[in-house]
Amino acid sequence: MTNSGRTGSRGALALVPRSVEAARPTIWFCGHCGKRPSAAGPPASNARVCDSCGLGLLLETVADGAPERGGAFLVLDRSLSVCAVSHGAETLLATTETDAVNHHVTELLVPADSESQSGSNLAAAVSSATRGGEEPLSVFVRPANLFGVRMRARIVQCGPPQAALLTFDNPGG
Amino acid sequence: MRYLKTSEAAALLNVSPNTLRAWERRFGFPKPQRSPGRHRLFTHGEVASLRDALQEGLSISSAVSRAREGLATDTNSLTGALVSYESERADAAMESALALRSLERSVEEVLLPSLEEIVRRHTIDSAAWAFAAHWAADWLRRAKRLAPPPVRPVSIVLGDASRDELDPDAPFIRALELFSVRAGANMLSLSVRGVAGIGDAIAVHRPNLVVIAGGHVGDDAVARWAYAVRIAAGAMPVAVYRRGPQRVRMRSTGTSVLPSSASEAQRRLLELVETDQGGRVTRVTMESPYGIQTGRRTASM
Repeated sequence: MTNSGRTGSRGALALVPRSVEAARPTIWFCGHCGKRPSAAGPPASNARVCDSCGLGLLLETVADGAPERGGAFLVLDRSLSVCAVSHGAETLLATTETDAVNHHVTELLVPADSESQSGSNLAAAVSSATRGGEEPLSVFVRPANLFGVRMRARIVQCGPPQAALLTFDNPGG
Repeated sequence: MRYLKTSEAAALLNVSPNTLRAWERRFGFPKPQRSPGRHRLFTHGEVASLRDALQEGLSISSAVSRAREGLATDTNSLTGALVSYESERADAAMESALALRSLERSVEEVLLPSLEEIVRRHTIDSAAWAFAAHWAADWLRRAKRLAPPPVRPVSIVLGDASRDELDPDAPFIRALELFSVRAGANMLSLSVRGVAGIGDAIAVHRPNLVVIAGGHVGDDAVARWAYAVRIAAGAMPVAVYRRGPQRVRMRSTGTSVLPSSASEAQRRLLELVETDQGGRVTRVTMESPYGIQTGRRTASM
């Protein structure tokens, strides 16, 4: 019995561990400018500083969840603390990474989909990602203390160490 | 304290010097001091702490934050214990530091900075410093007793010119002794005040090198001691350690001035001995200010 020919669709019976079956392509990107490193493969553990901007560490995430270069995104840990703020997110949220790091994400963002009775979506999505959840999740958020704005964000896992990547979709749109 | 130039710090962090300067502007860390020539001098502890934090970090900011906390925790813990006169808590703080660092790094990055902080805050006339200096001398002596036996054919006589254990240089001198012993050298420490019978000590120890450490005892007394050593042992290299700022630019070509960092001084000492033993330096007959001829030793060791 073989798995050949089943790529792209999940079989009803899994004969191999799910992690192997569900292995998805990943890419590395800078946690500040979003640039993908030119070198293929994972960087050495002592060489994770972005050689382009020098202000971010290289992180790995699934290819379809990676931010664009210059994109607006945050990196959050399992306690929902902000660990990294991209240059684009600094502009979008009118903050700086040094001010935001180690603060709870709700000091920057709050859920904006309370009408759908899913006010905890943001926390749940971040928790899921930091536990290794593989599927990208979408949430609607707004900057804290700012009303009338609603932004869609995708949340996927990233690392190392394991964390959640929150990327704003078309923040200028 | 051990210092790194920008290029050295950048190499340790595996980044370019420009990136390091960008971090200094953006994060204020690692924060360099300036040399007399206005060059940046980074403390090894800060750079090493940041290097470790970067390997487990999600951003430079979070790594900087963690490095700051990590550095401050052990030093603050030890400082707090010492100014509270709690020797058991001070021992525990050093145990905690040793869990994360080598003994040498723990001494250089935690113990000695804590003592410097206490001197800065309480002055050397305070009871807090008296307690801290005594505890530190005891801790360093205990660590030295636990060091493995000498494994190198290196024998060093250290002439202690510090005042007593309350001398702020004393912990650095004890640290140099400890590091040298742990590096495998045979070390004999004697006060420069004790001249009578020095020949017996030299005959037993047969040093390859003499270090004069500390700046409290005056030059005349030090010169008498050094002369007695020279009479007993013949010409040999001499180095000075923490002999005061006026000695940094000693005009003598024969006497080596060791770096103020204990670990760097220990490395330099071994280099001096090994260079001397290898005969890679030509004999220098000029006398040092302390009367010991420098150059390769003629006596068989």
